[in-house]
Amino acid sequence: MDRRFDQELDDLRQDLLKMGGAVEESIAQAVRALVERDDAWVEEVIRGGKRIDDWEIKIEEVCLTLMARHGPVAGDLRLLTTVLKINDDLERINDQAVNIAQRAQVLNTMTLLKPLIDIPRMAELAQSMVKDALDAFVRRDVALAKSVGRRDEQLDQLRDQIFRELLTYMHGAMGRPDTIDRAIYLILVARHLERVGDNASNIAENVAYLVNGRIVRHQKAHWWEDRPISDSI
Amino acid sequence: MNVKFWRSGDPFIWLTGSALAFCLLMITGLVGIILYNGLGVFWPSSLERIQLRTGERVMGKTVDRQSIPDKAELFRIQLKVGNRDAYGLDFRWLDEADIESRDRPGEAVVFERLEWGDAYGVIERIVEGDAVLAVGAEGGWEALQPLLDESARRWGVIHAIEDDEMGQINREMEALRREKQMLERAGADSARVAELAARNRGLWNQYEAVSDRLNAVRSENERAEVLLALADGQVRRIRVADIVRAYQPNALGMGGKLAVYLDKGWEFIAGQPRESNTEGGIFPALFGTVMMVMLMSLAAVPFGILAALYLREYARQGFLVRLVRIAVNNLAGVPSIVFGMFGLGFFVYGVGGSIDRLFYAESLPTPTYGTGGILWASLTLALLTVPVVIVATEEALAAVPRELREGALGLGSTKFQMIWNVVLPSALPGILTGVILATARGAGEVAPLMITGVVKLAPDLPLDAYWPFFHLERKFMHLGFHIYDVGFQSPNVEAARPMVYTTALLLLLIVLVLNLTAIVVRNRLRRRYAGSAF
Amino acid sequence: MIEENQSMDGATVAAEVVNPIVEVENLNLFYGQAQALYDINLSIPECEVTAFIGPSGCGKSTLLRSFNRLNDLVESARINGHVRIGGEDIYAADFDVIDLRRRVGMVFQKSNPFPKSIYENVAYGLRIAGENGKAVLDEAVEKSLRAAALWEEAKDRLKDNALGLSGGQQQRLCIARTLAVEPDVVLMDEPCSALDPIATVRIEETISELRKDYTIVIVTHNLQQAARISDYTAFFYLGRLVEFNQTQQMFTTPRLKQTEDYVTGRFG
Repeated sequence: MDRRFDQELDDLRQDLLKMGGAVEESIAQAVRALVERDDAWVEEVIRGGKRIDDWEIKIEEVCLTLMARHGPVAGDLRLLTTVLKINDDLERINDQAVNIAQRAQVLNTMTLLKPLIDIPRMAELAQSMVKDALDAFVRRDVALAKSVGRRDEQLDQLRDQIFRELLTYMHGAMGRPDTIDRAIYLILVARHLERVGDNASNIAENVAYLVNGRIVRHQKAHWWEDRPISDSI
Repeated sequence: MNVKFWRSGDPFIWLTGSALAFCLLMITGLVGIILYNGLGVFWPSSLERIQLRTGERVMGKTVDRQSIPDKAELFRIQLKVGNRDAYGLDFRWLDEADIESRDRPGEAVVFERLEWGDAYGVIERIVEGDAVLAVGAEGGWEALQPLLDESARRWGVIHAIEDDEMGQINREMEALRREKQMLERAGADSARVAELAARNRGLWNQYEAVSDRLNAVRSENERAEVLLALADGQVRRIRVADIVRAYQPNALGMGGKLAVYLDKGWEFIAGQPRESNTEGGIFPALFGTVMMVMLMSLAAVPFGILAALYLREYARQGFLVRLVRIAVNNLAGVPSIVFGMFGLGFFVYGVGGSIDRLFYAESLPTPTYGTGGILWASLTLALLTVPVVIVATEEALAAVPRELREGALGLGSTKFQMIWNVVLPSALPGILTGVILATARGAGEVAPLMITGVVKLAPDLPLDAYWPFFHLERKFMHLGFHIYDVGFQSPNVEAARPMVYTTALLLLLIVLVLNLTAIVVRNRLRRRYAGSAF
Repeated sequence: MIEENQSMDGATVAAEVVNPIVEVENLNLFYGQAQALYDINLSIPECEVTAFIGPSGCGKSTLLRSFNRLNDLVESARINGHVRIGGEDIYAADFDVIDLRRRVGMVFQKSNPFPKSIYENVAYGLRIAGENGKAVLDEAVEKSLRAAALWEEAKDRLKDNALGLSGGQQQRLCIARTLAVEPDVVLMDEPCSALDPIATVRIEETISELRKDYTIVIVTHNLQQAARISDYTAFFYLGRLVEFNQTQQMFTTPRLKQTEDYVTGRFG
């Protein structure tokens, strides 16, 4: 059925995906600023971050307008609330990217504490989660969304591993302030990446609600599979 | 341009507008002519004395003026000269060219008489027996007034004797006669028959006594006479007792004329007809019309409404009901004379004849109910109006919104409760409108009445003070028939013309009053029951 | 409180209700040759508001009218299956229809006050049932008018003609009239469709108050209204019950695509 409302919903979805793409890009740039020790990426991330903030406001406004004017119910209602929430999560992910870039800027003024191994792995995992969450949204793929949730646990483990490692460095670096500085900055980066993962799994949970109409947050795992909505007729 | 003109619709506006204007013109023309001719009848117009070139003198009231054919610039006038006993004719045409002079003598009098129409002239003297009471116009007029009052009083006495005393004796004798006939038929009971004969003789004696008294009053009444000098010089003797009304039209002021006008108008409405209906009042016709309409409504309305209720509310809406509905609608369009024939055949000869054979056998072969009468006329007209009532009621019932019925049923009403409490009150305005319009139609119908009970003169009203009060077998008078009779069946058509117009005006007024009542009633009910909001 | 089940053909989704007052079982209704309702199975919970929605001609009004047997007025109407109200089969041969209509009141699409005073309108149901005691009637009239939120506006003009009220007031009067006979179930057939938004809101508030004491079944074309005031919603299409569920479910997560399409306006 060809309706203006459907067209507007579609435009909104496209805008959200574009924003998602920009956010993914931001994370990638922030990680490169850290790994390649190149301040040029930092500038990129901050500049892109501003644009994403504007984007976020625009999408929220569109959502509110559509709600006020169309009084959406059922699938439309779920889509609009989901877009609102994903919009929020993407904005936070973007904030994390900016944070990482800023930490990278400081770290780049110092020598490396150690070669970065786990942080790039974390970054890669977090990026894949964001990407898959958005793909799940596009494809209404609950299984993919659920896999994002599982990867969040891996991400948490990686972060814990990095914390432990850096703590031992700090213990062994008694009286060497620059070591502690560098370790703390790396811990912060790990924490930022972990938060990116959290937001990505929030997105995934919202996708499950969008598709199945069930709020899976804080629920048992099998809720992900329940499909009360029938496709028959 | 041309196409545009047609497409604009203006010609259609003109067409519709002129159609309306035409209708209005016809209606105002009809009402106007009746008003013009009807309202002026009772006005005491002036008496003119005309001196002709031939030396002849005439006096009368100008009633018409028209140009003489072929001589367009010349006119002639129609003069009502009255004094039919002297001239044989009431009216006379005069060429204006022949007139030498005209004047309006103040002493000229108009006498309206019981017979021979109006008398116009100048009072010469008043005599009573051989005694001369007064001489001359002025003195005569003065002396006439107490005589007129006295005469009116004596007429009252005469009517009282005739109607009450003699009427009572007549009724008793009639009862005796019937009892005697019944006894004879049942086998002679000679003692009883003799007793009846004796009572009959007693009544005869009473009758003779009353009759003597009556004759005494009558001859007393015949003594006073007026000697009236007509315009041409001859003198006529006129009994004071014969004078119904006397006035000097030329001497009357506006107020006096108005008084005469109202007096004559009242006589018209409340008085008895005189001179084969061309003079006097039309009260019996008015009364007959109203009573007939009431009887008709009494018969038609309840039956019509009940029938419509069954047809609309209870009957299963199928082929049969559709057939009945078509039949009823067609019945409303049947010419009224056909109903009259049915009334004559069924009610008068059929039902009435049977009643006579069963209950009034002693009066036969004189029919009682087996002849036209107000009951049969009313029933015939009721039959004529029932279809209209049914159709109007059905439409009113159908117009009651379905929600209202369902609302009543939804609260647990039975069907009867729904009809009685909700449907009927809502349909009442429509029903009443239909009923009153049907009644108005019945009131104006004449043809079927002519063969079921209307007569040209029936001084005995169908409702009076003597048991059993309602005399439904009596023949009666009717305004519509009165118009026909006076206007076209009267020996003196020219003199009767004013009567025709006034009677038509009255009939028009009655119909107007009925219709206005319908509108007022409907509007009041509609205000009470009409849906608002939305 | 509810359990979900899906009927065998998968076409109907109907929530099961544990405290039903109206139970419809395999109901088929015909007008002459045309079938208007197909195999309706439905339970309406007591003291809740149940909304019937669906496109025009879907049979929702017909079903509503079969609850107080107003369909009996249509000569060609034929019915099979069962409707039980309070456990009694109202289509049983010896069932008293007059009594049924006292127990199952109805408010119509177009307000239809009788051409009588406000007081007599409300007292009508009691009067035709033979109640004429002034004290009883007075009390019932006041109670019903209060329940229908009309008392404050009408108490000084009880003797006035009911047709002088505004459209919304007339409709509330019709509700009061229905409540006066203390029915178990109140059926409402699009009660607000002829009213302006303000009057509509007042009726909706009245309905929300009434749900404490009465079971209300309302047919509405206004989906927002169904969403606002009802606890349960049933969606009908082409004479069949498509989906029956808690209203909150119906308007956030309808089970069937057909329902989804209807409530989101993508129907047809």
